[in-house]
Amino acid sequence: MEARSLTIGAEESWWRRLREVVDRHPAVTALALLALIVLVLLASKGLHNVAQRGLNGLTLGAIYALGAVGLTLVYGILKLVNFAHGDFLTFGAYMAYLVNVTWGLPLVVAVFYAMAMTAVLGIFLEKVMWGPMRARGAGMLQLLLMAIGLALVIRYVIQFIWSTDLRQLDVNLTDTVQFLGLTIGRTNLIVIVVGFAVLIATGLMLRYSLLGKRMRALSDDLELAETSGIDTSRVILWTWVFAAGLAGLAGVLAGAITQLQPELGFELLLPIFAAVVVGGIGNAFGALAGGVALGLVIEWSTLFIDSRWKTAIGFVVLILVLIIRPQGIFGRAKVI
Amino acid sequence: MTEGGTRAPAVAPARRNGTIFEADGVVKRFGGIRALDGANLSVGKGTITALIGPNGAGKTTFFNVVTGFYRSDGGRAAFGGRDVLGHPPYAIARLGMVRTFQITKALARMPVIDNMMLGAPDQPGERLLNVVFRPAAWRRREAEVREQAMELLEIFNLTPLADAYAGTLSGGQRKLLELARALMTRPRFLLLDEPMAGINPTLGRRLLDHMQRLRREEDVTFLFIEHDMEVVMNHADRVIVMAQGRVIADGEPHEVRRDQAVIDAYLGSGTVAAEEQ
Amino acid sequence: MLELLTNPPIALTFQSFTDIDFWTSVGILAGIYTIFTLGLQLNVGFTGIFNFGQAAFMAIGAYSMAILVTEAHMSFWLSLPISILIAIAFGLIVGLPSLRLRTDYFAIATIAAAEAIRLFALNARELTGGAQGTFGFGDDWDSVSETIEGWIADIGWTDVPTLFPLFLVVWAVALVLMLVMSRVQETPWGRVLRAIREDEDAARALGKNAFAYKLQSLAIAATLGAISGFFLALNLKFVVPEEFLPIVTFIGYACLILGGMASYWGVAVGAVILWSVLEGLRFLELPLSETRIAALRFLILGLVLIGLMAFRPQGIFGKREEMVLGD
Repeated sequence: MEARSLTIGAEESWWRRLREVVDRHPAVTALALLALIVLVLLASKGLHNVAQRGLNGLTLGAIYALGAVGLTLVYGILKLVNFAHGDFLTFGAYMAYLVNVTWGLPLVVAVFYAMAMTAVLGIFLEKVMWGPMRARGAGMLQLLLMAIGLALVIRYVIQFIWSTDLRQLDVNLTDTVQFLGLTIGRTNLIVIVVGFAVLIATGLMLRYSLLGKRMRALSDDLELAETSGIDTSRVILWTWVFAAGLAGLAGVLAGAITQLQPELGFELLLPIFAAVVVGGIGNAFGALAGGVALGLVIEWSTLFIDSRWKTAIGFVVLILVLIIRPQGIFGRAKVI
Repeated sequence: MTEGGTRAPAVAPARRNGTIFEADGVVKRFGGIRALDGANLSVGKGTITALIGPNGAGKTTFFNVVTGFYRSDGGRAAFGGRDVLGHPPYAIARLGMVRTFQITKALARMPVIDNMMLGAPDQPGERLLNVVFRPAAWRRREAEVREQAMELLEIFNLTPLADAYAGTLSGGQRKLLELARALMTRPRFLLLDEPMAGINPTLGRRLLDHMQRLRREEDVTFLFIEHDMEVVMNHADRVIVMAQGRVIADGEPHEVRRDQAVIDAYLGSGTVAAEEQ
Repeated sequence: MLELLTNPPIALTFQSFTDIDFWTSVGILAGIYTIFTLGLQLNVGFTGIFNFGQAAFMAIGAYSMAILVTEAHMSFWLSLPISILIAIAFGLIVGLPSLRLRTDYFAIATIAAAEAIRLFALNARELTGGAQGTFGFGDDWDSVSETIEGWIADIGWTDVPTLFPLFLVVWAVALVLMLVMSRVQETPWGRVLRAIREDEDAARALGKNAFAYKLQSLAIAATLGAISGFFLALNLKFVVPEEFLPIVTFIGYACLILGGMASYWGVAVGAVILWSVLEGLRFLELPLSETRIAALRFLILGLVLIGLMAFRPQGIFGKREEMVLGD
């Protein structure tokens, strides 16, 4: 056979090289993109506007992130597209309402109660529904439709009990706090502080604790984790505890700054899914970053467009990600 | 059948009829790993070529890249003079370059006969407009195709299973179905990924004889990945050896088995050198 | 105790069971959802693509027809094929970037697309009337309806519910479509779709352009969705975004599963049973408020979905082997 020179592909166009860079360093690219957006905003709308809306964005982003982290963990480990996740948020919000308004206890108690009860709900469903269905070898569509059915059950039991009347948690919605020339509602600030504190704690747990490492191992490769001696069913239970607990918290926080109605969680579900996809399914840090980024982008968009189109931004982001980089920033799984 | 188990008929040098396929420096990366590290090979028209090598050598990856299932990261490959890298799998299959899979892809919830008829090319009824506007044409072709399918099933001993769901077939039967289905496409160049795995020797010999006949009568070219050295030595015109993403030897079976690089590759990777019979 | 027997808290009115107005309206809803779900059957049952955005096509069909008639003053009859084309165009716009994605991503993408359409309809007030919606497109249909009433009266049946002609037309169309879909499915084209459902790579390796087939499947589902949208609009006499919430697609899936995947005729059975149950709750004159009854309906829908998935995923007519649910 004649020797042939090794030709390394077509001419290395700059476009191809750019794509390679983006592929190899997705996080840096995303950060650069965000920085670019911020610069453009600052230049066109001024620091005050950007910072002010940015604060609102952080409030929204904290809620999205709390919802997204739980959803992505369940999705990554159990391969379950949990359409009922939004209704975990609703459940949490109404549990808090029960404690805070109906029983008159302080909001702090309500928050813990809500998180605990939602976690219990998550565990219950895992034992009664998801575990048995997995054992039977249920396929993705089967689980997906079950999740949809479950979402309807949770939502409409709530509606049955509490009707569609708008309700409010016992929070102060008028007081504002001023700092650095910016104004923010007192409750919104609490949402940001609590939300990010929990997110950071969760992040640390996932990164450094044994449970966190095991959860990530299961997310990477469930079968491998099983054969390597990890008690997968316990890890799965703990995953549900976290996913449901965080969702419950997200619901309470969302309810605190808006009003409670049975559709509360479902309305947040699509932006939460968008955050999950942006971050890369199965990647909790990605979900966190995606949620916060999405909240910021949505609030900043109101600088340019009428606020009634706010929700549309979530879709635009989701669609763009699905077209340009469907596996999200941190995802590695084959998506195409 | 007297040819079973003996050496292949008069050695067909790779270039007698000309080259039907060539690969030049094909590269495929997975993250940091170069699964294909500049694979160069060519296959002569009407030949039966075996592609061997230790596990992880990149044989199946090579198949996947040149048939369009993986995107290549460099190099060129041409079938009948036409570039194939960067084209979708269905286009390459339509050119007449058809592959089978190592882990069979029987369409489990469809009957065996449907699996077969799917393979037939030029069925106008597969286009939506023709379904509506040219019913006679596709019904006629459907009857032809069914007949061809039944003939092939007969050769492969699968006739009684024609109406069974493909999912109920045994592993060996699925391999047969995979091969038969690929043959329905009237290919010019068949890339078979471990076609003999799980098939009993008698039936295996029958298959090889069928392959020989196709080669003789219709000039069909075969490139097959195989681990059974007996099959390779006795039925292949040429043997190509891959290791670590490159082709390390290429020649007639008896030359290759004595090639030091080949022996090293097998011993080095820990695989038992099966050619030491 | 005796009081409980003579005055049960739940009253079942016998008269309601034979109320023909009621059954006509149930029948129309079942018919609309039959057409709607035929599209899902093609996509999910026969092609293996999880289209969760079918409500979008229904919305586009309904809105396009309504807007073309009321704003562009087009003839009702001309607006129908044009609305179908618009729905198909949207299907292609959504399908082109998302059909190459993994099945679960495709499901998310289609729900997102459907919500995008609904939110657009809600917010583009000048075009769609926003939350108030569009109305006033029914005149042409009304005259047809009256003609049909006349024919029915001619054969001796007077006192026909006003919606009865619509009931007849919806089911006539549904039956024709079921027939067409069944026939088309039994062709080589249908065989390729089933192969794609089973194993897309195998189909590709045999020379089939899987992407193009999936796109065709989606386009046909768009057509069916749009047609169901027409009938929905004619039934309600107005078109509002609220009619196209995701739950609409979920109800379609419930009909699909109930009837059984991979059976077009089963879709009709599923739709009839489901809507009879959902609407039949009105018989039980429960001492509950409106919102509570509404909650109960969807609660039952959720339980039906869970129950079917857990205990009989192949539905009524599905074959255990053909169950598309294990993947």
